[in-house]
Amino acid sequence: MEYILTILVMISIFVILSASYNLVIGYGGLATVAHPIFYALGAYTTGLLSVHTDLWPPLCLLAGGLVAVVASVLLAASALRVSGDYLLIASLGFQLGLLQVIRNFEFTGGPGGLSGIPGTITGAARTPAYLLICGGLAVLTVAFVAWIVRGPYGRAITAMRDEELAFSTLGRNAMSMKIAIFAIGCGIAGISGGLYAYYFQYVSPEQFDVLQSAALLTMVVLGGMGTSMGPVVGAAILLAVPQAITFLELPPNIMAPMQGIIFTTLVLAFMFLRPAGLVGGAGRGKLPAALAGHGTEAP
Amino acid sequence: MTDPIVLLQILWTGTVTAASLVLLTVAFSLTQKVTGLWNFAQAGFMGVAFYTMLFVLNDLALPLWVALAAGAALTAGIAVFTEAFGLDTLRARRSGNLTFFIFTLISAELIIYVLTLLFGTEPQTLFPSIMSPIHIVGGVAISDWDLTAVGITVVMLTLLSLFLNRTKEGQFLVAVADNAKLAELYGISAQRAYRVTAIIAAIFITAAMYLVGARAGVTPNSPMELILSAVIGTLLGGMGRVFMGGLATVILALLQSYSVLVIASRWQNLLLYGFLFITILLFPRGMHLPRLRTRRAPAPEPSV
Repeated sequence: MEYILTILVMISIFVILSASYNLVIGYGGLATVAHPIFYALGAYTTGLLSVHTDLWPPLCLLAGGLVAVVASVLLAASALRVSGDYLLIASLGFQLGLLQVIRNFEFTGGPGGLSGIPGTITGAARTPAYLLICGGLAVLTVAFVAWIVRGPYGRAITAMRDEELAFSTLGRNAMSMKIAIFAIGCGIAGISGGLYAYYFQYVSPEQFDVLQSAALLTMVVLGGMGTSMGPVVGAAILLAVPQAITFLELPPNIMAPMQGIIFTTLVLAFMFLRPAGLVGGAGRGKLPAALAGHGTEAP
Repeated sequence: MTDPIVLLQILWTGTVTAASLVLLTVAFSLTQKVTGLWNFAQAGFMGVAFYTMLFVLNDLALPLWVALAAGAALTAGIAVFTEAFGLDTLRARRSGNLTFFIFTLISAELIIYVLTLLFGTEPQTLFPSIMSPIHIVGGVAISDWDLTAVGITVVMLTLLSLFLNRTKEGQFLVAVADNAKLAELYGISAQRAYRVTAIIAAIFITAAMYLVGARAGVTPNSPMELILSAVIGTLLGGMGRVFMGGLATVILALLQSYSVLVIASRWQNLLLYGFLFITILLFPRGMHLPRLRTRRAPAPEPSV
């Protein structure tokens, strides 16, 4: 039972993370892969504050979100001048560079990771309590993103994403809107990182590398990019299905790659069978902007 | 003041270390030039090439040339399979850049997981010993392996240059790279060009992984780091300028090598990622060397 509840906590955290990523890439059309680094910044900030100070846990979570916002504005202000493949790769460089910094500093625990993060909630009710908190925040995040994109600001975001030139011609500032979307999405990712740090009480740089970027991107695409419920479905399926073989009690050196093989095969299968995602329409006409079109864009 | 011999040694070691990376960059850059795609699946192909050679050498105990041939054949087979059943389908659907990015990255990951399942995560080298005889030339240590690495790289780059410039098939690749639709109007098959490119890239990747695996331990995850060097070299050299990408990789490797004189070696990778980020922001079309201006002979005076 504890195991299943832990999986549900993980799914809840990843629903928050993928819903925030969906805001950036699905609705905002900003094709970055650096989202896990903001998740990492939130996790490390929360973890370090918890280890070294007696700050109230919700404040530590908010501080994690704030650090992620600051870092995202720094990245956005410089990297959003380019688009398409160039933005993808610039964001990859940013992510790997910051991870290298985290790996090299001693106060972050170095390559071995940061351990000894206080659990804040103890006892038998720990996991159910975390599930309640993370699940509640996941619902709030999905509702918040849906609220943003369905209102007047959401219509402006769609206009900016689909017709940036026309949007700018009307006197709107596309750059400031991009930075705002990016900061909101990354701030939420930072908070989800803090939740992760509190629940698992340990974070290491490997948890936020390129494979994590691919996993997150996959959750959003598989579920349905630019749909409210897509990231929920994507996170649930991609985290739950590989766990099915856990019950086979295979040795760890076989279990981990097997789960990876199931995960990647699922992604490739869905990519060809349901290119618009499980929640989006299956037809070509319903492909979201980030997935449609062809060719290398100019920077 | 650093000893000039030390500086020369770093220059030589950095250049030799760059040899395998140059081959990987050329494979990546050529693919990008012809297909217009950032093919991250090449990280998976690197793993296939290395572990095929390892299996043939260690488990089947066959000669090196068989291992190289098997590595190139299997890598080329998987690369063409990926082209035919993955990328072609996505092109037919007119998929966007992000879809291609996800497909190639996830394909690489799938291959890496399969290799992890088959071969484990322990670093392995192609040969029991990574040492080779050393000669001292002017105070600089040069090993037999160094000469092999430089020799293989120079020969392969020369052959590629001849192929692209002197053969009909090579010029078809250049034509498709310039304008695939126009090339097809002239009867050149873009699909065939993509597959030929995949085979050439596979041969370069196999040669590079031979050089890497003969000198250092490789794990299934190692290619993910190697491909980043190829990406940075491609960007810095300029999109579509395959050989400049190779040169940029040598310069990057030298910068990394010399950086140990001023910063701790653990920060070397950060230098690489910093270059990746800065290159895209400041030189998205690559670094252009200034052209040398030749003085023209004055025009003859008109006769009256």
